[in-house]
Amino acid sequence: MSSGKRITLQQAAEIVKNGSSLTFSGFTIWRRPFALIYELIRQRRTGLHLIEVNGGPQTEFLVGAGCVDIWESCWVGHELYGKYGANLSRKVGNKEILVEDYSHAEMLFRFSAAASGAPYAVTQTSLGTDIHNPAYDTLGNAGLRDGKRIPKHKYQFTEDPFFGAGSQVMVPAAKVDVAVLCVQQVGEEGTVRVNGQFYSDPEVARAADITIVLAEEVVPEEYLRRESDLNTITSFEVDHILECPFGAHPTGMFGRYDVDGGFLKDFYGKTRTQEGFDDFAREWIHGHDQMSYLEKLGWPRMLSLKANTALKYSTGVKRGQ
Amino acid sequence: MDKAYANPEEYGLADLLCCAASREVQDNEIVFAGTGLPMVAIMLAQKTHAPNLKLIFEAGTLDGRPPEIPTSVGDARCEMGASRSSGLHDAFSIAQRGYVDLGFLGGAEVDQYGNVNTTCIGDYLDPELRLTGSGGNPDINSFARRTVFIMVHEKRRFTEKVSYITSPGWRVRKWPGGDTVHRRELYGAAYRGGPSAVISTAGVFRFDDESGRIYLDTCHAGNSPGQIRDLCQFDLDISRVSGETLPPTREELHFIHEVLDPEQIFIPKVKRG
Repeated sequence: MSSGKRITLQQAAEIVKNGSSLTFSGFTIWRRPFALIYELIRQRRTGLHLIEVNGGPQTEFLVGAGCVDIWESCWVGHELYGKYGANLSRKVGNKEILVEDYSHAEMLFRFSAAASGAPYAVTQTSLGTDIHNPAYDTLGNAGLRDGKRIPKHKYQFTEDPFFGAGSQVMVPAAKVDVAVLCVQQVGEEGTVRVNGQFYSDPEVARAADITIVLAEEVVPEEYLRRESDLNTITSFEVDHILECPFGAHPTGMFGRYDVDGGFLKDFYGKTRTQEGFDDFAREWIHGHDQMSYLEKLGWPRMLSLKANTALKYSTGVKRGQ
Repeated sequence: MDKAYANPEEYGLADLLCCAASREVQDNEIVFAGTGLPMVAIMLAQKTHAPNLKLIFEAGTLDGRPPEIPTSVGDARCEMGASRSSGLHDAFSIAQRGYVDLGFLGGAEVDQYGNVNTTCIGDYLDPELRLTGSGGNPDINSFARRTVFIMVHEKRRFTEKVSYITSPGWRVRKWPGGDTVHRRELYGAAYRGGPSAVISTAGVFRFDDESGRIYLDTCHAGNSPGQIRDLCQFDLDISRVSGETLPPTREELHFIHEVLDPEQIFIPKVKRG
């Protein structure tokens, strides 16, 4: 039975409007929805407000391409394959982007709050740091705190009123327009099965107003419902689905393929300057679609990344020196 | 296995740092792992003196026993052998609940109270260089009983005042006012501890229980206390030096290079011969 949730990559990208707030599945260099990231860059989306539990190559591509006006998160880099986010760093230096810094746990708790319909979360993390310095409230300094999608305050401080446990910090719910996930399997009605660590996927899917799922494969819904205890996200939390094999490349997909470290290293090395980024985008993004991108990568490269089905990771990928 | 200390030509600086970090782990502890050299150090401890340690990967693997070294905490290699493969909500809730004994962290700058910066160099509002941002550094440092920082030792990094306090040391800012207070006052019932050591490329540093000020504990071979003091912008206390940092044993080197990181992802082999 079809639920009519299937869309194309082009349609998925069109759901993300200029100025939309946006978040993703995955963790640093794993399970990022790259096929859609590339399509947003091809469609020259602008003014995006990224709100991410943590950033990664997807942040760097969108920021380098000039799609992003605001980035709220805690970290950006390429792990072993590039020690920081050079595109974000360049745009911060040129004052071409607004960055709002929270800690990693704070970002996670912000999404948990949004996912449970709460206006804020309370935590004891990062007390005493400059993350809480009122002078460093970037969105407040820019006059953007309207109390609608962007919360009135970056933080509020309070004392535990119940048990006298002392200082607490309240962090606002992360309200986002669209979450885009990249997973192993989705059913025709939207049920998601993530294999391996699910990171913060359940929270971001539930927090967003619209959730789009790119999957390595769309499988019969009935297949996933045979063992519903293995499923990760409920059918009705997902609005749109599409099948997009290798859609996370160059990031990795547990059980399917490893991170393409060579690709990320190359990107990191070549995109320190805007000219370098523009050249890289011309080579790998513009004038391509997902199939011609995969064709350009080629079989030998993809086979080296392919996971061993028993171990769930590749034994052929070159990782070290 | 040969537990004798290796000779200087048998190991490199990365081996020494890895072993020094490994020796900070005690058996039965719950240890929070970040990406990189600390992952090798923790797994080395698991293979040697701390077989019952429990490993948490920030991305959501709980009580992990990876068969080969993950290249990052999100890696597919984290899962196999673990008690549970889960997500960040579990990892951070468990940490905030107080389960974590020890975390290993890095930093671009550190001050004499163990405040660490990984966010930017220069004025935050007009930075000379934007860095990665906090990641889980302040979270682990807020929640764990002890944290150990592994850092490159350069004078500009061991600074009087960090450009931005990303991760809380022993004397921190109480917002919204910004007064400097001991972290014990600020964290209240959530107080469990704080930075316990800095392992730099020059030596191992610890913090005074009362004042929270850093002092030099051991020097890596080839560095004198005076030389290390000259490599700090603040006035380093060198009155409590206990000796030289112990070198790796041959058993440790065997585990690092033959078992844990044979691909030399994090720790290069010293060319012999």
